[in-house]
Amino acid sequence: MREFRAVLLPFPALLTGCDYQTYQSTFSDAAAEVHSFNVLFVIFLVICAAMYVLVIAFLLIAIVRRGRAGEANVVEDRRHHGENPLMRAGLMGWGAVVGAGLIGLAIASFFGDRSMAEAAANEKLSVTITGNQWWWDITYNAADPSKTLRTANELHLPVGVPVHIYLRSNDVIHSFWVPSLAGKQDLIPGRANDITLVPRKIGVFRGQCAEFCGVQHAHMGLIVDVDSYADFLKWWHHQLESAPVPTTPLARAGYDFVTTRQCGSCHAIGGTPANGTVGPDLTHLASRRSIAAGQLPMNEGNLYGWVADPQSIKPGSNMPTVGLEPDQLHAVVAYLETLK
Amino acid sequence: MSSRFRASLALMSVAALALGACDREEHHSRSKPIGETVPVGQSPDTIWPGGSQPSPLDPRAKLYDNNAPALAEGQQLYMQMNCVGCHFHGGGGMGPPLMDDEWRYGGRIDQIAASIAEGRPNGMPAWRNKLTDDQIWKLAAYVRSLSGQPSKDAVSSRSEGMSNTTPSTLTPREPAHSSDTAEQ
Amino acid sequence: MLRVASAFTIAVLCAQLAALAACKRAPHQQLGSAEVYSAVPAGDHAVADATASPADDGNWIMPGKDYAATRFSGLTQVNPGNVSKLALSFTFSTATTHGYEAPPLVVNNTMYLITPFPNELYALDLTKAGAPTKWVFKPQPPAASQGVACCDTVNRGAVYDAGKIFFNTLDGQTIAVDANSGKQVWRTQLGDIQHGETITMAPLVAGGKVLVGDSGGEMGVRGWLAALDEGTGKLAWRAFNTGPDKDVLIGPRFKPFYKSDQGKDLGVKSWPPDAWKIGGGTVWGWVSYDPETKLIFYGVGNPGPWNPDQRPGDNKWTTGVFARDVNTGEAVWYYQTTPHDLFDHDDINEIILADIPWQGGRRPVIFRPARAGFFYVQDRRTGQVLSAAPFGYVNAYKGVDLKTGLMIPNHDKDPKVGRVVRDICPAAPGLKDWNPSAFSPITGLVYIPHNNLCMDFGAMEANYISGTPYVGADVKMYAGPGGNRGAFTAWDPIHQKKVWEIPEDLPVWSPALVTAGGVVFYGTMDGWFKAVDARTGKQLWRFKAGSGIIGQPISYRGPDGRQYIAFVAGVGGWAGAVVSAKLDTRDPTGALGFTNAVKDLPSKTTAGGMLYVFTLPR
Repeated sequence: MREFRAVLLPFPALLTGCDYQTYQSTFSDAAAEVHSFNVLFVIFLVICAAMYVLVIAFLLIAIVRRGRAGEANVVEDRRHHGENPLMRAGLMGWGAVVGAGLIGLAIASFFGDRSMAEAAANEKLSVTITGNQWWWDITYNAADPSKTLRTANELHLPVGVPVHIYLRSNDVIHSFWVPSLAGKQDLIPGRANDITLVPRKIGVFRGQCAEFCGVQHAHMGLIVDVDSYADFLKWWHHQLESAPVPTTPLARAGYDFVTTRQCGSCHAIGGTPANGTVGPDLTHLASRRSIAAGQLPMNEGNLYGWVADPQSIKPGSNMPTVGLEPDQLHAVVAYLETLK
Repeated sequence: MSSRFRASLALMSVAALALGACDREEHHSRSKPIGETVPVGQSPDTIWPGGSQPSPLDPRAKLYDNNAPALAEGQQLYMQMNCVGCHFHGGGGMGPPLMDDEWRYGGRIDQIAASIAEGRPNGMPAWRNKLTDDQIWKLAAYVRSLSGQPSKDAVSSRSEGMSNTTPSTLTPREPAHSSDTAEQ
Repeated sequence: MLRVASAFTIAVLCAQLAALAACKRAPHQQLGSAEVYSAVPAGDHAVADATASPADDGNWIMPGKDYAATRFSGLTQVNPGNVSKLALSFTFSTATTHGYEAPPLVVNNTMYLITPFPNELYALDLTKAGAPTKWVFKPQPPAASQGVACCDTVNRGAVYDAGKIFFNTLDGQTIAVDANSGKQVWRTQLGDIQHGETITMAPLVAGGKVLVGDSGGEMGVRGWLAALDEGTGKLAWRAFNTGPDKDVLIGPRFKPFYKSDQGKDLGVKSWPPDAWKIGGGTVWGWVSYDPETKLIFYGVGNPGPWNPDQRPGDNKWTTGVFARDVNTGEAVWYYQTTPHDLFDHDDINEIILADIPWQGGRRPVIFRPARAGFFYVQDRRTGQVLSAAPFGYVNAYKGVDLKTGLMIPNHDKDPKVGRVVRDICPAAPGLKDWNPSAFSPITGLVYIPHNNLCMDFGAMEANYISGTPYVGADVKMYAGPGGNRGAFTAWDPIHQKKVWEIPEDLPVWSPALVTAGGVVFYGTMDGWFKAVDARTGKQLWRFKAGSGIIGQPISYRGPDGRQYIAFVAGVGGWAGAVVSAKLDTRDPTGALGFTNAVKDLPSKTTAGGMLYVFTLPR
């Protein structure tokens, strides 16, 4: 039995090898920040490990030597190894090694910080992310305010462009954590926090609220889509457009319901009378990958499920179960599906 | 182990077990059953020709009244659905104050729910199709708490975020006037 | 058929009335007599614009008294020597308990009163003893309109022109009533209470147009100023204050003086997408008119919501001043007082047209004691700011840059979502709110009734639901430095300095009146009606009314040739809602934070609505 356990022991270590396309991984280098973090991490690991090994080695030698020689206690004898030239040189050398190691770490840390600060100073894209229970409100700021873009739960970034993310919260403390791209940073009500990152790889990454924020904390996911600059611009221009006007009678009925009934009290749909700010912006809902902050993949079935009874999918969320009649449900989902 | 120690240990276990009986309220994230409706025609009047009686308190009232989660969610809705824009934190402005002891259309929770759902003629909008019934009940529970009616331990001690107002737990208790006849 | 015939008759009647209007202007001057101030003194101080401010005929036909908005009466019987002998002549109850902000109007020996909601129009016969009611017109606006009026259900006045009385109702209608018979001539629905639009302003009739703007800057409406044909009530033009240039009636004639106001479609580009559709910019204050250039001048209200984070950008064309052609509505110039307003500092205050000595010559200007706390002197033809100085304590702004025309913000006071920024002066009602100043061309001084309030401002995300408030701020107001919540200041507009000031315990929410006799009148919210010396500020006389005073005092000549002073007491409005709407003073944020500033008001006055008319004993 014991042997069996011993065989199992290394297995957790193997888990670190798991890598789902760096979808959500702290060992990714998909952004400059994570990359410099990881470089720093390796430098720290190597230097500290070397020092640790040395310390342990000296300790062991001392124990062995003392046990073997049975020499008298140094302190009691009032003798000092400092008088021993060899020991003196050894101690000074040790001090030099420690000093050099610390200086090395400080330099590495300094350059790491500098590279991140540089990215912050060269802000090319400014995004404000506001944490809500339990979803992410994302606003792309623009020098021309009429180009301000509001979306939710899906962050699109151009590769290689320094993006400055301002973090706010509307209710409780949340934490922005996209392990593949950046370290954690809290979103604190009434406090201005920020983080800068420069994505290096095109791909889709997942983020997660990393500060317990209520019953649905676990379902507060964020999808980050890093595109080429051209693709990002295409996405951005498309998102800036108003919602398409519904064409089919069913979608038209859904439009009427959404804009005049409960939905519009909380949600905004660009170009329509629905201007609520309490819930996620739905202007291009159907173009997003997920429903309910990364909880369900976007498809017709899930839209039906979510609109019909959100409280069974995400109990406690602010999205109420409206109790739609079947024809209303068909109409609302038909309309939402047009919001590409 | 002394018998005294054993006895106190037994007592403590019993006490701990007794805690299990504590059950202040239930948090229900959606209304049950889904198809419920808010009461219509809960008259705020106090005169009944022919000596008839006011309608009995709606049985759903007890699901929301004195229910801390309902009050907390009601408070959040009060801010988000712009109730605060007219009634402010109970002092009133465009709308009448809600923290005083005067209830024009009745201060019973089902009467308040009816006022929210149906609206009132001097400018109170009807929220029936803008909010769900469950939300309206929660709002009614919170509105009633503004005048200090529910028990103090059910009321949230902090306001959501802002510090321009005093916590609701410090609201003085107001006797319920008007037709708030059915004391819960 | 009958309907067509009657429509035709009305049209003919209207045309006749319009014709009458044209020839009726002249007779006013015949009433002028020796006791009426008429000479324009040349010299080194400001005078009112001559064409916009004709000699006094003893009537009071519009809230501003004249197109130049001087609120200056040319009558001289009442003077500092005898004002203390003023005695009550008659009174009249308006049967309302809401804030009474309007002036009585006096035309052809008839006095007209427009009440707060339900906006009833009374005509009192001044020729008979006790001024009995001639007729009353009841427009019957729906009760629901009270629910979307932000700051009490007030009305700021009616206006007389060419045999008709024009006024607005809370539910967004403009109504013309025959001044003799009290019969409706036309009514036009302009605002929609379903979207939070109300109308509280007094219309102005100028160049054959009735000019009307909407209220509802706290309700996410889209502000506009409309011009109706005086005879028919048909919409002549409507200029929005947000949105694309064609909606704002910006065309080739538009030449703003400063660079920051120049550009195409700024009413869209200076807002987040779609935000301009619910961005406020209402016109609920005063319009002035220059008959010579045919230009109207008016200020635009605050952008919505109050929480500035939800509307990055300059938020054109809110919190600024427009000059427009009265015939076409075309914008001629615009000046934005506070780009990206942070504190609800609407710019709707009165605009006084004056001529001032300037570098050897004289220059046509406007005087604007603005809500943000600065007294602006601007060129009337271009909008150029000639000078701007604070007329009270201001810490929310550092001053006005005369080169760029821009307000210099104090970023320490910027609101932040989720925080309470403290000690912002002036508070949301500004150093001075809607209640207009009076300007005397004799002393050359502007008499400014104003506040001295500061506030704590907590911004939060506002949710937009059509027809409900769209504010996003928790506000708490209190007295500014000195502890007095109001003041009455005489201001020298040329040297931009205070001449004298009377500190008042409560905010001064009543407009001012100045007479050629050298007396200034104003009221306080605890019900004192005061007469002070126009040159020294010395209190000469006071009278305690039954309710707090927020109404415009007027002076007219009665049928007996004597000078009368009249006002309506009736506390209310934003400042007095705590009394008129029976608010609970334990909530400091009530009435957008005003409750906290006037907690003691319920112990000092009660609601009511009563006209008081005074004259000197024979």
